[in-house]
Amino acid sequence: MNSRNFGPLLLCCLLIPGFAGVWKLQEKIDAQFDGIHQEADELVIQSGKLLKVMSLEYAPLMADLYWTRVVQYYGDKNVRHDAKFELLWPLLDVTTTLDPNLLVAYRFGSMFLSESAPQGAGRPDLAIELIERGIQANPEYWRFYEDLGFIYYFELHDYNKAAAAFLEGSRNPQALPWMKVLAAKVAEQGDNRETSEFLWNEIYTSTSDPQMKENAATHLQLLRADADCKAIDALSDDFEKKNARRPASIRELVSAGFLRGVPVDPLGNPYLLDDEGRAQLTPGSPLAKKKKFYGRTLSNLANPNK
Amino acid sequence: MTRVGVVALNTFREAVRDRVLYNLVFFALMLMAAAVVVGQISIGIEQLVIINLGLSAISVIGLLMAVFIGVGLVSKEMDKRTLYALLAKPVRRWEFLLGKFGGLLLTLTINTVAMSAGLYLALFYVKHTIERADGVALVAIYFILLKLALVVALALLFSCYTTPLLAILFTGGLYVAGLFVKEMRGLHSDTMAPAVQVFLRWLSYVLPNFENFDVMASAAHGRHIPAALIAQNTAYAALYCAIVLAAAVTIFSRRDMK
Repeated sequence: MNSRNFGPLLLCCLLIPGFAGVWKLQEKIDAQFDGIHQEADELVIQSGKLLKVMSLEYAPLMADLYWTRVVQYYGDKNVRHDAKFELLWPLLDVTTTLDPNLLVAYRFGSMFLSESAPQGAGRPDLAIELIERGIQANPEYWRFYEDLGFIYYFELHDYNKAAAAFLEGSRNPQALPWMKVLAAKVAEQGDNRETSEFLWNEIYTSTSDPQMKENAATHLQLLRADADCKAIDALSDDFEKKNARRPASIRELVSAGFLRGVPVDPLGNPYLLDDEGRAQLTPGSPLAKKKKFYGRTLSNLANPNK
Repeated sequence: MTRVGVVALNTFREAVRDRVLYNLVFFALMLMAAAVVVGQISIGIEQLVIINLGLSAISVIGLLMAVFIGVGLVSKEMDKRTLYALLAKPVRRWEFLLGKFGGLLLTLTINTVAMSAGLYLALFYVKHTIERADGVALVAIYFILLKLALVVALALLFSCYTTPLLAILFTGGLYVAGLFVKEMRGLHSDTMAPAVQVFLRWLSYVLPNFENFDVMASAAHGRHIPAALIAQNTAYAALYCAIVLAAAVTIFSRRDMK
C-alpha cells in the first residue's frame, strides 16, 4: 500500500474511535451537569411585543416555536415532578402575543395553568386571564367559554360564574346545543357527581385531541371508582348494622350475600377494604396511582360545600 | 423571441447552471423533518407549523436569492466584461435590464412553485386531505412572489450605481424599513415637530410597504383574504416595480461604461 492510500484509511480508522470517545466523554459531562443540576430555565426576552417586532413578518412561525417550548417546558416539569412553573405564564404570554389566533395555546395553556400542583401551575386566575384574552382576539370561537366554565367549575368551584360562562358561550350561533344544557345543569345543581360526569363526558366526546381525551377518560374512571367505593361503603354499613362490626374484607361481604362477587374498578383491579373497613382502590393499581395525581376531583366531590 | 426574452431566458439558464435551485432539496428535507418531528414534540400545531414553516422558508429563501443574485445581475456582467460584448450587439440597455429582471423573476417563480408543491405535499402527509381553506396559503405564496419582484427591482436599482456590498445593504435596509411603514405613519409624539410628522407620513407612503404582502397568519389559520386585496396588492407591486425599474433604466442608461 502506498502512502497516498494510507492517509484516508488512517483517517477513517481514527474517526470512528475518535467520535466514540467524544460520545462517551459527553455522556460523562452530562452526568456531571445533572449532578450539579443548575436551573437552566430562562426566558431572555419576556416582551411578546418586542419579539413580534424582532420576528419581522415571521411572527406566526415564532409563535409555533414558542408554543412547542411551552409544551416541552410543561412536559419536562411533569417528568421531573417539579411543581414550579415560573416560566409558564411568560411563555404563554409571548406565544399568544406573537400569534393571537393560536387557539391551541389558549386552550391547553389555560389547562396547564389552572390545574393545581404537581399537575399544573395552580394559577386559575392566570388561566382565566389567558382565556379572556383568547376570547377578545377570537370572539367567534365559542369553545373558549366552555374552557372558562370548566375552570370556574373544577378549579374555583364558582358555579354561578361557570354557568354564566357556559350560557354566554351558548349564545354563539356556532355553539353546540349542549352548552345551554350545561349552563342550566351547573346553575341548578352546582357540584355533584352527575354534573361532573356530564362535563367530563362532554369533553371526552367533543375533543379530538388524544391527550385531552385520555385526561377526560381518567376523570370518568375515577368518578366511576368513587361511586363504586361509596356503594361498597353503604353495603359495609348495612353489614355493620347486622353484625355489629365492620367487614374485614370484600370477600366477607360476598360470603354474607351483600355482593355477588368481588367488584373491580374500571381497569379490572379488585377493590379492597382499608383498616377502618372503607372501600378503596388496590394500592399500586394504575387507577390508584392516577387518583393520587387527580385526587382533587374526588376530594371536591367528597366535600360538596367546598 | 424579443431581445428582453432572450436575456431573461439566459439569466434563468445561468441561475440553473449556478445550482441555485439546489435549495429545493434543503427545503424538502426541512419540511419532511418538521412534519415528522413537530407531531411528537408539540400539541395541536402540526398543520400550522407546516404552513408557517413552509411560507417562511419560501419567503426567506426567495429573499436571499432576490437580494444576492439581484445585486449581481449587473455587476457580475461588468466584472466578467460580458456586458460589453452584449451591448455591442443590437441590445439596448433597458432591454438588458428588463431581461435580467425577468430572468431572475422567472427563476424565483419556478423555485417558489416547486416549494409550494412541496408545502402542499407535506400538508397532505400531515392532514391526509387538502381542504378549501388551505387554498389561502396559495394567496400568501402569490404575495411572497409579488414581494420578491419588488425586492429584485430594488436590488437591480442599487446595483446599477453602487458596489454589490452596498447594494445588498441598501436593499436589505429598505426591506426591513418597509416592514415598519405602518408604525412610521402612526408615530406621534408631543415633542415631535409637526414638520417631522409630515415628513414621516410622506416617507411612509414613498417607501415600499412590505407589510402589504404579509398574510402568513391568515393563511395558517385558513382565514379568507378578500379578492380586492389581491387585486390591489398586484397593482401596487406592478406600479412600484415599474417606478423602480424606470429609475434603474435611467441610471443604467447614463452610466459611463468606460
